[in-house]
Amino acid sequence: MTKRTFPKWNTYTWVGLLMTGLVLLLGIVGLFWTPYSTTQMNAAEIFQGPSLRHLFGTDNFGRDVFSRVMEGLSATILISTVVVLFAAGAGIVIGAFTGYFGGVLDEIVMRITDAVNAFPSILLTLVILSVLGSGRQNLILSLSIVFVPSFVRIVRGEFIRLRDADYIKRARLMGVGRVRILFVHILPNIFSVFWVSVMIGFNNAILAESGLSYLGIGVQAPDATLGNMLADAQGYLQVAPWYVLAPGLTIVWLVLGFSLLSEGIRIGGAQDD
Amino acid sequence: MKYLGKKLFTLVMTLFLVSVIAFLSFEIIPGDVVSSILGTEATPEREAQLREELGLNDPPVVRYVNWATGVLKGDLGVSYRYSKNMNEMMPVAELVGDKLPVTLWLAAFSLIMIIAVSIPLGVMWAKSNNRFLDAALNVVTQTTMAIPSFFLGIMVTYIFGILLKWFAPGGYVSYEKDPWGFAGYLLFPALSIALPKIAMTARFLRNSMLKEMQSDYVRTAYSKGATKRKVMYGHVLRNAMIPVITFLGMIIAEIVAGSIVVEQVFGLPGVGRLLISSISTRDFPVVEILILYIAFVIIFVYFLIDILYRVVDPRISEK
Amino acid sequence: MIKIENLTVAFDGADAVKNVSLELLDGEILGVVGESGSGKSVTALTLMGLLNEEAVVKEGRVIFDGEVIREGGKPLNKALYRKYQGEKMSMIFQEPMTSLNPTQRVGRQVEEMLKLHREMKPAERKDMVLQTFQSVGLKNAEAVYDSFPHQLSGGMRQRVMIAMAVILNPRLIVADEPTTALDVSVQNQIIELLREINKTHNNTMLFITHDLNLAKRLCHRVVVMRDGEVVESGTAEEIFDHPREEYTKRLIEAVPSRMNRKKREIVRVNPVIEVRDLSVFYKEGDNSLFTAGKMRQVVYDANFAIYPGESLGLVGESGCGKSSLSKAILGINQNINGQVEQYTVRPQMIFQDPYGSLNPAKTVGWLLQEPLKAAARMDKTKAMSKSQMEEAAYDMLHKVGMKDKYFHRTPAQLSGGQRQRISIAQALITHPGFIVADEPVSALDVTIQAQIMELMQKLQEEMKVAYLFISHDINVVYQMCDRIMVMKEGRIVEIGDTEEVFTNPQNSYTKDILYLSQA
Repeated sequence: MTKRTFPKWNTYTWVGLLMTGLVLLLGIVGLFWTPYSTTQMNAAEIFQGPSLRHLFGTDNFGRDVFSRVMEGLSATILISTVVVLFAAGAGIVIGAFTGYFGGVLDEIVMRITDAVNAFPSILLTLVILSVLGSGRQNLILSLSIVFVPSFVRIVRGEFIRLRDADYIKRARLMGVGRVRILFVHILPNIFSVFWVSVMIGFNNAILAESGLSYLGIGVQAPDATLGNMLADAQGYLQVAPWYVLAPGLTIVWLVLGFSLLSEGIRIGGAQDD
Repeated sequence: MKYLGKKLFTLVMTLFLVSVIAFLSFEIIPGDVVSSILGTEATPEREAQLREELGLNDPPVVRYVNWATGVLKGDLGVSYRYSKNMNEMMPVAELVGDKLPVTLWLAAFSLIMIIAVSIPLGVMWAKSNNRFLDAALNVVTQTTMAIPSFFLGIMVTYIFGILLKWFAPGGYVSYEKDPWGFAGYLLFPALSIALPKIAMTARFLRNSMLKEMQSDYVRTAYSKGATKRKVMYGHVLRNAMIPVITFLGMIIAEIVAGSIVVEQVFGLPGVGRLLISSISTRDFPVVEILILYIAFVIIFVYFLIDILYRVVDPRISEK
Repeated sequence: MIKIENLTVAFDGADAVKNVSLELLDGEILGVVGESGSGKSVTALTLMGLLNEEAVVKEGRVIFDGEVIREGGKPLNKALYRKYQGEKMSMIFQEPMTSLNPTQRVGRQVEEMLKLHREMKPAERKDMVLQTFQSVGLKNAEAVYDSFPHQLSGGMRQRVMIAMAVILNPRLIVADEPTTALDVSVQNQIIELLREINKTHNNTMLFITHDLNLAKRLCHRVVVMRDGEVVESGTAEEIFDHPREEYTKRLIEAVPSRMNRKKREIVRVNPVIEVRDLSVFYKEGDNSLFTAGKMRQVVYDANFAIYPGESLGLVGESGCGKSSLSKAILGINQNINGQVEQYTVRPQMIFQDPYGSLNPAKTVGWLLQEPLKAAARMDKTKAMSKSQMEEAAYDMLHKVGMKDKYFHRTPAQLSGGQRQRISIAQALITHPGFIVADEPVSALDVTIQAQIMELMQKLQEEMKVAYLFISHDINVVYQMCDRIMVMKEGRIVEIGDTEEVFTNPQNSYTKDILYLSQA
């Protein structure tokens, strides 16, 4: 039995998992199946309020909002998962090497990450997108780049903290290889901090993606994401508030779920130590 | 003083780097600027003339130097999209000039709200022994933090604009026309930016205070016979504020980002909206200046925060 | 008169202090001694009204001059206590650095006592603080007044804490391990200061310590505590010279002293390690792109050798360069001049902190096999099969006196003493001929300390390993080591046979240390 790679569960973790799990499931199902077509317009059913037939009502084209939320969710989840996987992976490798070995390379990487971290991620993505042009691929690419430094900083900080730990000094004395020290001796000890940052990363990715799509710079119509749905719906606030509430509250729900998860892991991790 | 000089030097260097990156990034973008300005039906002579006017024939380094010296002298270049009239191009300075105050006021309003509410709230929260209040604040702040500012903006519009009719959505009035109307309208977008940040800052301050309250020096203060009030305000608060200062720097940077989105929601003619529209219309001279401006604001805020940090924490200035 | 009657205090439902009664006579210094977890600090904090919110005083009373100020089952009367805290009772804590507010000038912190309890003009207050600073031996009181805690040395900080505690001349001063965080010579000055204060002002003092020698030196009467209960109490003489209880006897016996020492014959040929003209440097400041780190010399021209099966003790105050020297020998610090010749397989190191020296993510079994795997990777001839490695690990586990069941435990599930055993096992499993032990028993309770020292000696006999044994406690070194080496400000000032150095020290600094450590 080794130390848990995932910290002890608590109320936060459970509620967070339940909340994100539910919505993630909806998004994954949305990849393959939605109750109604998300593009089929239906003049007869414009602006229907929520009902059993249309859980979240219908929009200005008579499309089922629930189906569109499902579609938007799958886009949001897909984008943020790719972004976090890439950024976290790159963050671990870069952070581990620079943190442990230090030196000139570390100095340069640190300066860059500090500079990038000083700017809000949505702003940087905006700048990169203005060069690359908008669209789903470019959005994923620019978010991935922008998110790497925050992971680098966290992982690097942990490696710096642990590289001078007595047990790591002893591993060096034993003649354990460098790569093994990095990934077998140190890495298991930073999991709780790492999981927290992954959860926060998901949060930021979701917020950045939906924000940019809302501004019309991220994912473009006709592809639905929660962000550009909100932009469409805003004009009908007075006649169809459900059209705004459905995607909006879905984002809140998802983000809240992830922040509860991160809080739970943080507290659990502190208890483990 | 030596430290201050060093910091100022770094500040200038960073701005220089940002300006280089901002300028050169747009050099690598495919597509011809001239034909996109004049349309496809322009004569080759007209195209060549414009190219000459804009200085597009020079190598990038020369163009950067020309642009940068212009910026330093106050000449921010001309917009590719907007023109004053048929023959005169729109200077970027003019385009940005009247939008700047809107954004700055918006940011100031939000910052004041955040500081005025979150600090007393955080202190009160840390001091309270009431379990119910603690749980309630926990749920409320967690939820508030999860609301993206644009959705919050829409909800504020719905609740205060449509339901309560406290303001007219889309009915922005400029500062020159009606200062009170301007302030009254700005209150609501500022609220949309501030609310999640209030929750974040209050939580952060509370956690920081709770951590400090576990310290040995707090026990020492109690051993002198000091009341909880005296211990909190005389000892804990200042130490707990040290990390909060850095946190506030981050919050200010996020206010700048938040204002871009929220200006869009409330139809405010600020810098953020100009940035978005310039990006969509590929009006690069404007984008470059705006990036430089935002970078300057953020770097300068961090500079101030750094100095403030040294004032509050005597341990730093020693090194 | 100050009394604690039948006190029982619980944390999380478990009793930390059980039915403890203490009586403090006017003007006496009462020592409370015990190992960690004995409840001595909890008792003191209860008396001072400083317990955490989680702690529950279940039963008993605290009586101060006839007034019951704390009663079991009732919540703390904070308003009543505030009249006593500072005014009639004050406390000196173990860690002066963390016990002072880091962002407030120390003068103001002491002055707060006066602000809280006296009506005085600001100028009068400052005067009184300066006077008190002088009376506790702080020269240049004005400068100290305006200093922040981090600008003072450890000893000065503790003097500031003492000034704070005595400024109102309270009836009772509680001192909780006030010298544990300090160097021996400073420790001595602080003890003398406390004794002097007690003599001149006749305050009653409650002195909490784990160090029996200190209690013996300072206290009039002593109470021995264990697992939250009082084991024995009496005058210092009674307790130390004629202990009645078995536990007290064991405790006193475990304290390293100059009595019991095995003398051994060491054959000094073919050293395991030889150090010639070794100077060690330390990089100062941040070594960034723009500013090259400055080099500061921390060890000057060290010359010595260590022979198989021998223990060489290294003694000196913190900052004297003993850690730097050991790191240089092991090759952890490469900034050296001179030679270090190793004649053995990779020497290993045992650290002071049993909590930091084992990887918390791994099991004991894994920890013991990792050195073998590393050795095999470097030298193919040392490759072992999985079962051979496991067998070797179990074998080593038994050698350090631990049972099979610990093989699958993680460090978090072990006690401090058990962790130190695993550390030793991990260091010895590859059979190195030489080990650096950096304060290996300093963080342990006395009884555990004695066990670990005994274990190290046993293993030395069995495995013929040589130790460089670093310690601030010269009595520990006396018991463990064949030869002793004294360091001061980066230089080795004396090296010689333990017996000889103790009976006939040549260097004046060595004489000082020996004098100060005499009980």
